[in-house]
Amino acid sequence: MDLSSFAGPFLPEILLLAGTLLIFLLDVLGIRRIEVTGAVAAGASALALLFVVADLGFAPLAFLANLSAGQVDVAIAPGATPLYAFTSLGLVFQGIFLTASFLVALASMSRPSNERGAPIFFGLLLLATLGMLLVTIASDLIFLLLSVEIVSISTYLLVAYTRKDVRSLEAAMKFYIIGALSTTLSFFGASLLYGAYGTTNLFAIRAVAGSVGYPVLVLLGYGFLIAGLAFKATLVPFHAWAVDVYDGAPTDVTAFLTGGSKKVGLFAIFLVFLGPVLFVAPGAGGSPFSGGTVNIGPVLQVTLAILAVLTMTVGNVLALLQKEMKRMLAYSSISQAGYMLIGIVIGTSPALTGATLQMFANVFMKTGVFLVVAGVTALGVGPLIDDWKGLGTRRPLLGVAFGLMLLSLAGVPLTLGFVSKFVLFSSAVEAQGYFVWLAVAGLLNSALSVFYYARVLKVMFFDRPEPDALPTGAVAGGSEPSLLAAGGLGYARATAIALIAVAVVAFGVYPQPVLGAISNAAQHFIHVGP
Amino acid sequence: MTALPLVGFVALSSALFAVGLFGILTRRNFILVLIAIEIAMNAAILNFVYFGAFSNGTAGLTGQAVAVVLIGFAATEVAVGLAIVLALNRVKGTINVAQANELKL
Amino acid sequence: MSLEELAFIVLAAVALFTAVAALLVRELVHTILWIAVFFVDISAIYFLLEAPFLGVLQLGVYAGAVTVLLLFGVMLTRKRIFSREAVTGLDAVPLSLAVVTFIFVVTAVGQLPQSSETLSVYDPTLLSQNLFGTNGPWLLLLGLLMMGAVAGSIYLVREGRE
Repeated sequence: MDLSSFAGPFLPEILLLAGTLLIFLLDVLGIRRIEVTGAVAAGASALALLFVVADLGFAPLAFLANLSAGQVDVAIAPGATPLYAFTSLGLVFQGIFLTASFLVALASMSRPSNERGAPIFFGLLLLATLGMLLVTIASDLIFLLLSVEIVSISTYLLVAYTRKDVRSLEAAMKFYIIGALSTTLSFFGASLLYGAYGTTNLFAIRAVAGSVGYPVLVLLGYGFLIAGLAFKATLVPFHAWAVDVYDGAPTDVTAFLTGGSKKVGLFAIFLVFLGPVLFVAPGAGGSPFSGGTVNIGPVLQVTLAILAVLTMTVGNVLALLQKEMKRMLAYSSISQAGYMLIGIVIGTSPALTGATLQMFANVFMKTGVFLVVAGVTALGVGPLIDDWKGLGTRRPLLGVAFGLMLLSLAGVPLTLGFVSKFVLFSSAVEAQGYFVWLAVAGLLNSALSVFYYARVLKVMFFDRPEPDALPTGAVAGGSEPSLLAAGGLGYARATAIALIAVAVVAFGVYPQPVLGAISNAAQHFIHVGP
Repeated sequence: MTALPLVGFVALSSALFAVGLFGILTRRNFILVLIAIEIAMNAAILNFVYFGAFSNGTAGLTGQAVAVVLIGFAATEVAVGLAIVLALNRVKGTINVAQANELKL
Repeated sequence: MSLEELAFIVLAAVALFTAVAALLVRELVHTILWIAVFFVDISAIYFLLEAPFLGVLQLGVYAGAVTVLLLFGVMLTRKRIFSREAVTGLDAVPLSLAVVTFIFVVTAVGQLPQSSETLSVYDPTLLSQNLFGTNGPWLLLLGLLMMGAVAGSIYLVREGRE
């Protein structure tokens, strides 16, 4: 048996599964310390990440790439209908998801070492990441939706893992109801598509190239499917649950939800959207309601474009109105989904590059800010933005790291957020047509978002804390922690935050390698197809 | 089983789906929400089976295979929902969705 | 009208009636009785559609396991098993949403060829070849999903020592 051709490309998935099983085994054996289980989770994620980076052609790791050589971007024979296919764009996304899981696992090791839910937290974290990796290789509707469900089921339970906290349990219940509703919608939509196409395979559906004989049925199918996935991706008007869940969930879990699992929805929308829009036979035309063979791509495109603008605007406006840090960041996370959707809607190779880069940036920024919030909350700082007064002056390193993430979210030059927005919006302008307006909407929204990020920066660096409002954490003892000490955050969390801050700047100043890899992957995806 | 058109079958499943959708959106008791979810899932599964039965060749088998997987999936989903609600009931003493008011709406 | 058609119409009517009744009755235990009938009814539809394997699976998993799970859910979450739910009305917005969904789907499916000469009948052997061969990965995914669900659910409902 040729193990490398069979198991080689699945190495990241196998590593994650092995990590999950090891953690559960350790739990059964009574080894439950957070340092041990966390190290397994972070280690498995990091190793898997190395494989993915190697497969993407990062020269120093070429020896790892040999293990799965020749399995990525293999052209699919016409008529073949495999359930999964390895593409370099999928690999980029695997890298994004693994980064989120690695950072969250690393930072979570700083929680109290006797925390009871640690094994289940890390086990489900790895399992959810495994589901995400499977989403990136899916080329079959049922395979895709089942993988999305692995992520969903794991994350419902992750939100509830504290087990005694009413707020997170209620968040879990809300998450579950909305999640189950969206699952039902997706599967019902998939069933209608199966009725119209006679297959659930995305390659077979792409072969029809968006020109279908039963346009209303297909549109309805895509409508249900995309509505279901839009819940997972928190697109307006399917966003109402997200802020409550992000707010109520344990903050480390929120970091994973915004950094990782929400992009699953976006990627899944992208995969199902791709068929009818990008692979349209030339000359197909006509209105969807006139019967006969018509091209349904433009209808879907306009609908998603409207959703993108709505998502950006509503998310940003509501973020402006928030007084609590976590809720403000949750709304800003919703608006970020709108930016990413722009690239998916346009669907050209530069736009796809922009959207992927935006997700790459977002995984650092959004995971980062919530990891900081989790750490700062553990230090005893309250939930309001005003509770953060003076934090930047008293904890300069933490303040600077958090500030960098916020600047990047706002899209200030020399940060990763600027690069990704630049690539994205310029691709929209390049694409002409009404897409230019998407760029305009995106720019206006970016400008709007500067207000609330700047407000946080002002509170942190320029407002004096009221003397009696000093947080009672490590800082309150009078002795300032030294610059090198993690100062109550815990070394693991401090490392994760530092890594993120460095990444945000480093990739912002020198984005070429990442940009090149993503752009290659996107071009390959568009021209060859997965 | 010859004269009944496909649309007759789908009328049943879409009606069931509509009932389930309505139930998910309006019921207050979590168990009722779960039941509504199951009704809607059954509608989706029925759809796969109909479309499979009405298509020719092996494509129709896929519909039944999906149905098998989905039946297993839906049962798992119910179990997870009940686990969450039992945990919530233990700390809070109610499983009413409307009374879940610790979070601001 | 053939006997099969008559049977389908009766089964469809029962399915709709029980589904609505399950959501409208005021006692949760009655709800579960109605939903059990609903599951059995759907199973009968599978038999009618020449899908006996699905019919048996529906009986075992839904009518058996899920019903019992739901019943336990009711028993464990209330002090008195027979207690009435507050009546909830028929809200206009969700109701109209549901009706619109129904009309849209039925109209859309009307476009499909209503081929009704013969239903395809599948040998369970072929089904298992499809399920474990071509579409085997689906079952693997289901297995992964169930693993997470079982681990997490057991953890959630286990009585903690703290």
